[in-house]
Amino acid sequence: MRFLTYILRNARRNPIRSILTIASTAISLFLMMILVSFFTINDDVSRDSRAYNRVITLSSTGFSGVVPIARVNEITTMDGVVAATPFSWYGGKYNNETMPFAQFGVNPESFFKIYDEFTIPQAQLKAWQDDKAGAVIGRKLAEDRGLKLNDPLPLEGDLYPYPLKLTIRGIYDGPSNRDRRMCLFNWLYLDDGLKLSTAQRSGNAGAVVIKCKSGDLMPSICKKIDSQYLNSDTPTRTQTEEAFSKIFMEMLGDLKGMMRNIGLAVCFSLVLVAGNAMAMALRERTTEVAVLKAIGFNKQLILFLILAEAMIVAGIGGLMGTIGTKFLFDVFDLSKFTAGFLPLFFIPWSTALAGLAVSLLIGFASGFVPAVRAAQISVVNGLRKVV
Amino acid sequence: MGRNDSIILRNVTKEYKRAEFRIPVLVDLDLSVEEGEFLALMGPSGSGKTTLLNLIAGLDRPTKGEVIVHGQDIGEMSESRVTRWRADNVGFIFQLYNLIPVLTAFENVELPLLLTKLSKKRRRENVMTALRIVGLAGREDHSPRQLSGGQEQRVAIARAIVTDPYLLVADEPTGDLDRTSAGEILGLLEQLNREFKKTIVMVTHDPIAAQRASRLLHLDKGQLVRDVVQDQQPRIGAAS
Repeated sequence: MRFLTYILRNARRNPIRSILTIASTAISLFLMMILVSFFTINDDVSRDSRAYNRVITLSSTGFSGVVPIARVNEITTMDGVVAATPFSWYGGKYNNETMPFAQFGVNPESFFKIYDEFTIPQAQLKAWQDDKAGAVIGRKLAEDRGLKLNDPLPLEGDLYPYPLKLTIRGIYDGPSNRDRRMCLFNWLYLDDGLKLSTAQRSGNAGAVVIKCKSGDLMPSICKKIDSQYLNSDTPTRTQTEEAFSKIFMEMLGDLKGMMRNIGLAVCFSLVLVAGNAMAMALRERTTEVAVLKAIGFNKQLILFLILAEAMIVAGIGGLMGTIGTKFLFDVFDLSKFTAGFLPLFFIPWSTALAGLAVSLLIGFASGFVPAVRAAQISVVNGLRKVV
Repeated sequence: MGRNDSIILRNVTKEYKRAEFRIPVLVDLDLSVEEGEFLALMGPSGSGKTTLLNLIAGLDRPTKGEVIVHGQDIGEMSESRVTRWRADNVGFIFQLYNLIPVLTAFENVELPLLLTKLSKKRRRENVMTALRIVGLAGREDHSPRQLSGGQEQRVAIARAIVTDPYLLVADEPTGDLDRTSAGEILGLLEQLNREFKKTIVMVTHDPIAAQRASRLLHLDKGQLVRDVVQDQQPRIGAAS
């Protein structure tokens, strides 16, 4: 601590150089935090979903295939199944918004039995169940758009040629790591409408979400469902909710590996940038280092002082780029601008602290070579530069 | 050699290697300096003055011979031990002051004390005492760039004496100062020598500065050619 003044004064000796080093570290880590958090959140949400004992049935051909609505009732009667609901992506626009929210056609009778981590007042649930054109929306969505009970919620379909004239009958809430920006409406309301218009896309459940009695039963239920429809016109692929959410990551290819490589390249370039700044700073201070050594500062102390300086500069950039980014996204909710594709976005503490540790490592690595060279400066040669 | 000799150089040779060449800077030099002496080293450029000063101060090692300061052969010490020895025993004064520009006068003077186990309060007391001795009490919060050249050199002297070292080495301490400031600095060195019994070894090109020392050595081509106790007869003959 007694050397802190000296270290801090040196760190801000050339303010422009320090600010540029700090800014380059902060901006790089800001971007890395966003990308890394995207994967971390996805992994966390996937992992957390294990606790809910849900499996999801899709067409074996994926999202583009059809799962007949009759499957929902058939699956509901299977042993070990608590409840099942259709889960049909509507993809409509609200008031011509270009970035709307996620809307799903579901079964109002079973939805909250399946998604029992969500809560809704009983009266609102009843009102929704009693109104075929009713909808419930998440608390976050209501807050974002200023929507309240009994507000009309007209949606213009992109996928389906049938507009929905919904009325908000309930607002659900839930844990902070779950999607509270969904709009849920009665699947039958959409299907009835489709039958009246073209009828070409009616009868499709989209996906079936199934609540199992226990986690142990999930593998056997998945197997049972898929084997039951294997030889039908519409074979299915059933998997756990965790595996289902990973499909989206798989669709992105080896983005995670790519991100890791980009991250390493960013760290390496930061080491070069910060290392160059430190090397320049120490070239200017050769005589000073020689003087310090002359008056009794030993090699280890010189090494420590320079490494500490490099780590402080990189650490300040790291603090801004990691903890600063975390606080920024705690205040600014990015997920509301993602049209439901990213229901949650925040920087987890684990990611932010890991980023901070990386910044300190960058500081250490960038200061190491200049520090070793400074520690090895010969006092006589160092003083000869000016004396 | 006298009984109070505290710096003894025996058959000291210092050579520098430049590619395959060996360049002798000091050749078989013998010297003894008594405790409390104020020694001035003079000679033309390249005569070995600064090299001799560096050897005495433990900044460099002889190629051959012994450098014994206060009974310790500093040429034989390990690098870490000689670094510690310098911190405890030697104060340095440079031509260009070599203060740390980002630190205040107080912080510059405090630097050597950061290596000791003194408390913050004791460090403060010692720094203020050193600044008072050099006549800069009240200027402790000034940064080097807010001080004149003479004042900067006073801060450097305060830094050199703050640990109460036995030996002060000064390499052209007045070389960058005007005549008035140089006179003040030399007066301060005299005072440190006279009142505080510091042994001082000073390299200078300035005959007027050299006159202020109690003993004057002339070096030429790495050899001692003249050794004069001021206002007395030469100890050894001129180069003749």
